[in-house]
Amino acid sequence: MSEVQLRIHDLWKTFHPGLFESSVEVLRGLSLEVDKGEIFGFLGPNGAGKTTTIKAVTGLVIPDRGEISIADQPHDSMQAKRLIGFMAESPYLYTYLTGREYLRFSAELLEIESAEIDDRVESTLARVSMTDRADRKMRTFSKGMLQRIALGQALLGDPQLLILDEPMSGLDPVGRRDVRDIILEQKDRGVTVFFSSHIIPDVETVCDRVATVIAGSVRGIGAVRELIAREVESYEVTFTDLDPKSVTTPVASVHRGSDAAWVRVDAERRDTLIRELADRGARLVSLTPVQSSLEELLLRQYEEAAS
Amino acid sequence: MRAIRIIAVNTFREALRDRVLYLFLGFAILLMASSKIFGILTVGEQDKIIKDLGLAGIQFFLMLIAVMMSVILVSREIDSKTVYYLLAKPVRRWQFLLGKYAGLILVVLVNLVLMTVILVFFVWLYGGGFDPRLFLATGMIGVEMAVLIAFAVLFSVLTKPILGSVFTLAVFVVGHLSQDLWLLTRHLPGSLGRTLVSVLYYLVPNFERFNFKTEVVHQLPIPAAAIGLALVYGCFFTGLVLVLACVRFERRDLQ
Ligand SMILES: Nc1ncnc2c1ncn2[C@@H]1O[C@H](COP(=O)(O)OP(=O)(O)OP(=O)(O)O)[C@@H](O)[C@H]1O
Ligand SMILES: [Mg+2]
Repeated sequence: MSEVQLRIHDLWKTFHPGLFESSVEVLRGLSLEVDKGEIFGFLGPNGAGKTTTIKAVTGLVIPDRGEISIADQPHDSMQAKRLIGFMAESPYLYTYLTGREYLRFSAELLEIESAEIDDRVESTLARVSMTDRADRKMRTFSKGMLQRIALGQALLGDPQLLILDEPMSGLDPVGRRDVRDIILEQKDRGVTVFFSSHIIPDVETVCDRVATVIAGSVRGIGAVRELIAREVESYEVTFTDLDPKSVTTPVASVHRGSDAAWVRVDAERRDTLIRELADRGARLVSLTPVQSSLEELLLRQYEEAAS
Repeated sequence: MRAIRIIAVNTFREALRDRVLYLFLGFAILLMASSKIFGILTVGEQDKIIKDLGLAGIQFFLMLIAVMMSVILVSREIDSKTVYYLLAKPVRRWQFLLGKYAGLILVVLVNLVLMTVILVFFVWLYGGGFDPRLFLATGMIGVEMAVLIAFAVLFSVLTKPILGSVFTLAVFVVGHLSQDLWLLTRHLPGSLGRTLVSVLYYLVPNFERFNFKTEVVHQLPIPAAAIGLALVYGCFFTGLVLVLACVRFERRDLQ
């Protein structure tokens, strides 16, 4: 049994924007658990409630109902907050401070010993490749530079749980790779990483498990491979000794090689096709599930949700 | 305490890097420097006029600094979402507000000391001698500002920045007029206006209690009890308003 680092149970939230505007039900019974030491991806279309969930976990939004615990502590306790490193959707930083000043300020709030602050700030600056730009006012920073400082303040306190809201958005390819490396490196140190993202290749390569959120509740959850495998849509069937054109089961993309033929069949017609092939004396060579990529899976889920 | 101190220091640093502060401070000094001219133009005792004008100027510009800086520094932190990163750290919401409050008090205190020293200097320069009671008068202006900033923090938590400064200014104006209005309407028969004035009188602190300008300028005696009462009154209102602000902020969604 692995330990649970973050537990979100039955979270509900409705926003009431104003007197004359209708209220928005954003979270509807969202539940999920993130195990200690895993990298957990949080996916979902725009407006699904990812940021709202993350803000509930970090105590910025107060849910109407539901429980959140971090390492078995209530999420709004100081013990829980000491375990978190958080980076928001956009880098909201003080423009009047320099990067270094901001990290020093963060280090003080994170209760880092004053003797240690200098070292910690310098190594964090190096980690996010901002050492040589750290003494400029952040007013003059580009979005990517701000993002790096924001990531720096999240890493600064040696958190056990890193919560990142779209950490790769707005970064150049090098920046994206850096963030990916940092996430993997944190995992090696035993840190649990919980992050939302729209960049699917990154999610696919980095995450141990993902959850998809649609309209405020979790739609699917599991290992990336598992999620995709669960959604096998069709099979590629290779056989010999039968003209593929004569097959009566509806199939798609019929091809004929020098001796074997292959066709693609929908998952629910797989057994019918195999029976027909057997009945008509064809020899089955192979049966391969066609795995949809995560992207296709998401596209389908999102579109289903939209209709 | 630690978190409050760190946030207070950062708030102070933010204020020091804001041009608005120097603008107001500059105007205040300019006014005191030019009070000599008003003194010449007016019949009467010059040093009294310098003191009178100087104290009024300090009160006015300090009020502007208190209102503007409070609303800017608290609302900006919430509006620009920099507060997200604070509150995700081991910092409680009330610690954030008290840290902001303490930082603002520091800003006003530094300005107060600076302005007072300059006023004392000008009074001495223009031949009025050294009058230590000026410190008492400006000190009480400081207490008044402590109450006003608490209101500004409350309004920053409750409303949008511009509305927040309007409400805080309104508290300042009403707080100075309510006693006069109340006295005035007391002689009138019962009416809606009278009820309204009494409601305001009890709701908004009576800022005239902190006003010792006349006594200081005209060298009248000041009973110690009046000072003590004003201090207690100021602490009571500050505490009450800050508690309200913290309670409101505790359950607010940040967006
Ligand atoms: N303060 C608010 N008042 C009203 N509605 C809000 C508020 N905050 C968020 N919402 C609504 O809640 C929904 C979810 O928003 P949220 O930011 O959590 O989405 P998201 O999954 O992070 O989307 P994205 O991928 O675009 O970042 C949206 O429909 C949004 O309009
Ligand atoms: Mg979002």
